[in-house]
Amino acid sequence: MKLTSTKFFRTFSQPLWGNNPVSIQSLGICSALAVTVQLKTAVVMGISMTVVVAFSSLLISLIRNRIPRNIRIIAELIIIATLVILTDEFLRAFYYDISKQLSVFVGLIITNCIVLGRTEAFALSNPPHLAFIDGIGNGAGYSAALIMVAFIRELLGSGKFFGLKILPGIFYTAGYEDMGFMLLAPSAFIIIGLMVWLQKTWVKNDTK
Amino acid sequence: MENLISIFLNSVFVGNILLAYFLGMCSFIAVSKNIDTAMGLGFAVVFVLTITTPLNWMIYYFFLAPGALSWVGLPDLDLSFLKFIMFIAVIAAIVQAIEMVIDRFSAGLYSALGVFLPLISVNCAILGASLFMVEREYTFIESVVYGFGSGVGWMLAIVAMAALRIKLRYADIPKGLEDYGIAMIVTGLMAMAFMLFSGISF
Amino acid sequence: MFNRIKSLLFALVLCLICGSLLAFASKGLKNRQQDNITTDRQKNILKSVGLIKEEMTYTPDQIKTLFIDTIKRVSVDEAGRIIDEKENTEIPGSKIFPIYLYVQSDDSIAAYVIPIDTKGLWGKIHGYLSLGNDGSTINGFTIYKHSETPGLGGEIEKTWFQQNFVGKKIVDRHGAFVSLSIARGKVENNIPEDRRKNYVDGISGATLTGKFLTEGLKETLSSYEPVSIRFRKNNFRDYKQIEKKQR
Repeated sequence: MKLTSTKFFRTFSQPLWGNNPVSIQSLGICSALAVTVQLKTAVVMGISMTVVVAFSSLLISLIRNRIPRNIRIIAELIIIATLVILTDEFLRAFYYDISKQLSVFVGLIITNCIVLGRTEAFALSNPPHLAFIDGIGNGAGYSAALIMVAFIRELLGSGKFFGLKILPGIFYTAGYEDMGFMLLAPSAFIIIGLMVWLQKTWVKNDTK
Repeated sequence: MENLISIFLNSVFVGNILLAYFLGMCSFIAVSKNIDTAMGLGFAVVFVLTITTPLNWMIYYFFLAPGALSWVGLPDLDLSFLKFIMFIAVIAAIVQAIEMVIDRFSAGLYSALGVFLPLISVNCAILGASLFMVEREYTFIESVVYGFGSGVGWMLAIVAMAALRIKLRYADIPKGLEDYGIAMIVTGLMAMAFMLFSGISF
Repeated sequence: MFNRIKSLLFALVLCLICGSLLAFASKGLKNRQQDNITTDRQKNILKSVGLIKEEMTYTPDQIKTLFIDTIKRVSVDEAGRIIDEKENTEIPGSKIFPIYLYVQSDDSIAAYVIPIDTKGLWGKIHGYLSLGNDGSTINGFTIYKHSETPGLGGEIEKTWFQQNFVGKKIVDRHGAFVSLSIARGKVENNIPEDRRKNYVDGISGATLTGKFLTEGLKETLSSYEPVSIRFRKNNFRDYKQIEKKQR
């Protein structure tokens, strides 16, 4: 059997591209956009998100046969919230500057539809290792979308890449100016919209 | 008073919780296909936000904030790390309670709002407003006004969006951009329009 | 009935596990987090007096040593006198203001830093304003916490905005206190020539943040005015004298 057709691999690769949670399923954009002004915050946010989705899927899948049906959602929320708090505490202890910039958006991972969506739709009915991989895949898909938006916004908005000036000074002397608009909220919506367009056209051609 | 009006107007327009802080996007995209449902969800959000933001304020400042428990003789305790879990629990509980109360007393309101209420407990805007309220160190009254204002702002955005999407049905949009893609771009344009309010001195 | 008990038990155990995990983590990381906050404040104080450059990175230890070596925290009362904190905290109603002194190696005071805690458009704006030892020229300005709208009022945390403050005056040509204001738009286009020293460039689209910050600066600076006057009169130049008075 080819690697690309195992269930294991498909579980991981599906959410990365063909079924990306942000750009195809339109989930979890809430927290996604506000942190995309810089690549650094986007990357950290992506990693935090991946950790939370992966481990909440794993834990819930492990206890999926024991959770009483009637308190399922609240139990899931508690596990997710615990993981989010741990992530937040960790960031505040070791990456203070970034956690200051992310402010409330780490906390908002709790209500991010991707996390609850994956635990509900996948972890509850699949074994732990698949659930974990599914979590990582979805987290990575989310991060990929985030990083792409952040890359565009940081490059066009402040001429930087990971906080380093990469546009040569000659551009500026020749009259080029940073696009301040890219740093404002509306630009994120428009970039996502265009990304969706690009990807949908692409994915459609793939399947044909 | 002037301060409160300023908080209200700012949370509705310039600092619109959806268009400037991107909160509540999931249900915004999913439910904005029809004006009536958008209106219903909008009202539900206003309702829940106006109740949960001040309630979470009380919980935070009477139980969780550093030194908040001095009234039971524990001045050194700092439980603020529990705020995420408490806030989300309060929101979920309130939403459930509201659902039951409405169901019991007003069948009309229940049929209008009922279906939207479960959607709301995972709406980022609700949790977001509570977290911003802590972050910005609001007083109690300010938190009431902020909760209400954010709700109204969110409703305004989703109703306007629903109206625009109805118009879009008759537009000839490139394949692939349909639905979700164009919705994002329209939201972007709307966010831009809302930013213009920032030039106005309230 | 059995089901209900089972649900309840499950919820209880889950809460217990999660709760203890969180309490444990929070307790364990608390000191580190507090440390981070202290270092961040110290970094901002150092930045406001110009001892730290934006583009360089520093380890927390470097910041700590630099801070201990150069910055002394003292308190002043309403009349601008340096006071011994231990005595005065017991008198209710007496107002004490903290200031940070930038003491050079020869014990001369090069600058003093005033903490700014003021209302912004959304929440509080916290930062530091450093004034030179002439009591009127601004040395630097930093902001370490705010919740203004990103891209609009949020620009106050950017270097270009904070750099504006350097070299501005809080007094007019005749030496009378006027505070410092955020202009609407660029200073050179909107403010008459003789008052430009008292204005900094505003942020477009963030008129209100500017307004709040102007008010806050005025209020804070006027309560610190007695100290500034002493600096202007040359009373506060030598840290040794102050140390003596404190004892």
